[in-house]
Amino acid sequence: MTDRTAKWVWGIGMWILALAFLAPFAWMLSTALKPDVDAYKVPMQWIPDPFQWENFRSVLTGATSVLPAFGRSVFVAALRVAGELVTATMAGYAFARMSFKWRDKIFLMYLATAIIPVQLLLVPRFIYFQRLGLYDTLWALILPGMFTVLGTFMMRQFFAAQPAEFAEAARMDGASEWRVFTRIYLPLAKPVLSALGILAFVWSWNDYETPLVLISDPERYTLPLSLSNFVNEQGQIAPGLTMAASVISIVPVLIVFILLQRRFIAAMTHTGIK
Amino acid sequence: MRRKGFSRREALAVLGAAAGTAVLPGCSTDQGSRSAALQVWGGVPPESGPAAVVEAFQRKFPQHKVTYTRYVNDDRGNLKLDTALQGGVDIDVYFTYGLGPLALRAGSGLAADLTDQVRRAPELRPFLDTEQPRAYFDNGRVKGLATASVPSFVMFNEKLRRQAGVELPHEWTIEEYRATAKRLTTADTVGAYRVPDVARIALGPDYWYDGDRSNFGDPHFEQEFRIGQEMIAEGSAFRWTEVLSRHLDVYQQNAFLGEEFHLWPTWPFNLRYLRDAKMYPHDFKVSFAPLPTVDGRDWNSGECGNFLMVNPKSPKQEVAWEFIKFYLTEGSGPMLSAGQLPSLSNLSEDQVISGMLGEEPERYFDVESFRRVVLDPKLKLATGTRLTAFPEIRLAEKQQRDLCWLGEKAPGPAIRDVRRVADAAIARNDRRP
Amino acid sequence: MGTATVAETSAAAKPTAARTKKRTKKAPPGIRPKGWVGLLFILPNLLGVIAFTLIPLVSVVVLAFTDWNLVSGLGGIRFTGTDNFVAIAQDPAFWKAVGLTLVYAGVSVPLTVILGLALGIALNRPLPGRAALRAIFFLPYIVNIVAVGMTWLMLMNPNSGLVNQVLGGLGLEPGWFASSNWALPALIVMAVWGGVGYASLIYMSALQDAPRQLYEAADIDGAGAWTKFRVITWPSVLPSTIFLVVTLIIGVSQGFGLIALITAGGPGDSTTTLSYYMYQTGFQFYRFGYASAIGLVTFAGVLVLTLLTWRAQRGRALHD
Repeated sequence: MTDRTAKWVWGIGMWILALAFLAPFAWMLSTALKPDVDAYKVPMQWIPDPFQWENFRSVLTGATSVLPAFGRSVFVAALRVAGELVTATMAGYAFARMSFKWRDKIFLMYLATAIIPVQLLLVPRFIYFQRLGLYDTLWALILPGMFTVLGTFMMRQFFAAQPAEFAEAARMDGASEWRVFTRIYLPLAKPVLSALGILAFVWSWNDYETPLVLISDPERYTLPLSLSNFVNEQGQIAPGLTMAASVISIVPVLIVFILLQRRFIAAMTHTGIK
Repeated sequence: MRRKGFSRREALAVLGAAAGTAVLPGCSTDQGSRSAALQVWGGVPPESGPAAVVEAFQRKFPQHKVTYTRYVNDDRGNLKLDTALQGGVDIDVYFTYGLGPLALRAGSGLAADLTDQVRRAPELRPFLDTEQPRAYFDNGRVKGLATASVPSFVMFNEKLRRQAGVELPHEWTIEEYRATAKRLTTADTVGAYRVPDVARIALGPDYWYDGDRSNFGDPHFEQEFRIGQEMIAEGSAFRWTEVLSRHLDVYQQNAFLGEEFHLWPTWPFNLRYLRDAKMYPHDFKVSFAPLPTVDGRDWNSGECGNFLMVNPKSPKQEVAWEFIKFYLTEGSGPMLSAGQLPSLSNLSEDQVISGMLGEEPERYFDVESFRRVVLDPKLKLATGTRLTAFPEIRLAEKQQRDLCWLGEKAPGPAIRDVRRVADAAIARNDRRP
Repeated sequence: MGTATVAETSAAAKPTAARTKKRTKKAPPGIRPKGWVGLLFILPNLLGVIAFTLIPLVSVVVLAFTDWNLVSGLGGIRFTGTDNFVAIAQDPAFWKAVGLTLVYAGVSVPLTVILGLALGIALNRPLPGRAALRAIFFLPYIVNIVAVGMTWLMLMNPNSGLVNQVLGGLGLEPGWFASSNWALPALIVMAVWGGVGYASLIYMSALQDAPRQLYEAADIDGAGAWTKFRVITWPSVLPSTIFLVVTLIIGVSQGFGLIALITAGGPGDSTTTLSYYMYQTGFQFYRFGYASAIGLVTFAGVLVLTLLTWRAQRGRALHD
């Protein structure tokens, strides 16, 4: 098989698999475009009849518009991602490639904090954040998101996989630790930084529980909270509006993803599985 | 229990110290900033009524401003409200929907004692009734006032009823209900959504409790599970696999609007789907029948609900009471469109009909039977007052009902498992000081 | 615990260079034996973690030894010593939940990792429309779970859903969410569907590390595809695999959102996993002390699993 045909055989296979993955999204889009009663019609109705563009209009405009919340979510996510990339990369690097007192103990504590179920933290966090004066401010969402354990863990695992000899050589040449980090290891980390950037964005974007408990003013709602506009007091969800808002909320994440995924370079065709 | 010589006092001292130093420094009640407006938290989206109530209140009392904040009435939404109330967030008046949170909030100092205010207002006298209570009493004190009366009734799809030649019952027994459902069952439609709440109709309020134990030994519980299972098996009630996989416990209206079944035991809040044929297209009228009786007993399995409560920490007690009184007496009109029947019947029947059934009531509803059944002043509403281990029992009953009606478990063993869990939960809760 | 061994693992990625060194050296190469500089590197993150996560977390530990219903406020906290833990040991619902969680994690985590690795490798190859393909497989991870739940309920409807229409051709008709035998498998399918995009993203970035010269050298040696995968690719993605396994286990042990939305733990208690049971006792039954105790026990269990994962990695590294 030539490389060219191999590429197409693989490509076709992957696209068939991708279609299976896309089916649920086709359904979401179709539900976003139809009247609510048809959403639950049995058997499933894939093509909306009639097309109800109204759902998108009411999600984007008027009293239940998600756009202000959308903006706040972007703001929160941007700061969280920036903070997380900086602090997690430095900490992850140090945990993997440097030696200092209590290193392993601190790292074990890190892992432990990640394991404690988040839902149990909600109430203590509420009490504590209220005393810090952060309750009902966007900082209550941003600050904890800038210093994460999972990001640090991810970066640590990446740097641990990098050859140590680079650093040894540089140190012998008298390079400072900061220089070793920024000039030698950081450039290697571009792909994994992209991955962490994407993930941190998603974690921030879809966070529901933290803002639920820490934000009360609807003027400060983030996107996931604003979706509760489409749930009535009986717990009945308006499917058309919810799906329309969900489809809209995918867009920025996809943009971030498509921009950053280019860092995963194509060069390797030899990874072992053919 | 403390075999290893771990004394309770030691544990308490150590942990108390840890808590005190590390996490919860100073339990001072930080009131935070209080706004000038009365802060009201409720579960109904503002545009479905509350905004109009607030507007009317501000028109009548221009000196008072009200801000309505909506919380989602689910587990996590209630957690949000509870933490906020507990943390001294600026909330003056709030709604409580579920019976579990109701007892907890009233019993834990999150609800102000409204007894004296109610006594002083003659128009609110019905709230002092303890026979069929419309208020929540905590040790004899009024802590919450129900804003809505939520009777249940059976709705008929008129088109299908006429086709089948079935008469609209003015009163019927549970056996007749089942027989009717069977007659209405056709090749492509199911007779009834489900069997009504048999045990509750027979036993009335607090039907889960018998002294300091649960009451699931009463045969009516097993009867309900059995009839339900048999009706599903004979095709006269909705298949439970469909109910679970389409979440029909919450979305029954979709199947009813789609004319998948004929008989619907339901509540007023679902009327909103039937009066708006533009949003919820359908071309049939509905008529109303009372719940069937069980062994001659006729408790209505609906209840009084949507309780208004006042935060005792609120510095605006008087305005809060003014708002509550307004809401209960003259303010509840806008809530009709959300399917909320006011707990005080001080609106005329015609007002209720036009508010609840929309602009063309005759087109979608048999108004005569609506008046007779839903607005019946003699309805015996079974509102519970005992709420021990309420959420635990509700869950156990739901779990076993699902298994039974899926056909995975026989009614007898299923009810015995509910009883076992309920007894244990009640015992555990009563042990609490 | 052997955190230092991760460095050894990476050394294994360079078989020829590292193997000789490893036998002679205790400390992995490139790690400065002493110093405070490293502490400065972690300081920004460490302070943030302490301030915003660790401090509130201590109170969870404290709450586990109390009986508290939240609405009674801080004054209503009643210390009960080890009562909660004694009760947990005797709570059949808890042990049932442990079993379900082990099945849930035991099936969904390995599946997600294996499929994610295969997908990550495939998506790093030149493919027509690769950027789009990568995005499509990642989509499930980013959609909000309310939409995901609503969609899968429809797709997995036993009588009319797309899934059973396809399976019907094979003579299979599982009851999915309307059957206490099939509800957990349905959740596993959803977890894998939602997780492979995440796993492949991690792998896509990790696969950049395997030095190309090694593959070229292996080609010259005439090594087969499997050998290249085992000797070069796998060691280079092993640290990321550890990260994935640990985070996926944490995800299973904490995730209750989809369960709350789709099955609410049912039918019966067939999908009441540990995290959902904790959610029930805390947020529905208002037993926050007991819920915290369950959380603490879960924590201990996951910690043990994490350490085991770590040891497996060390064993693996030494084995090579």
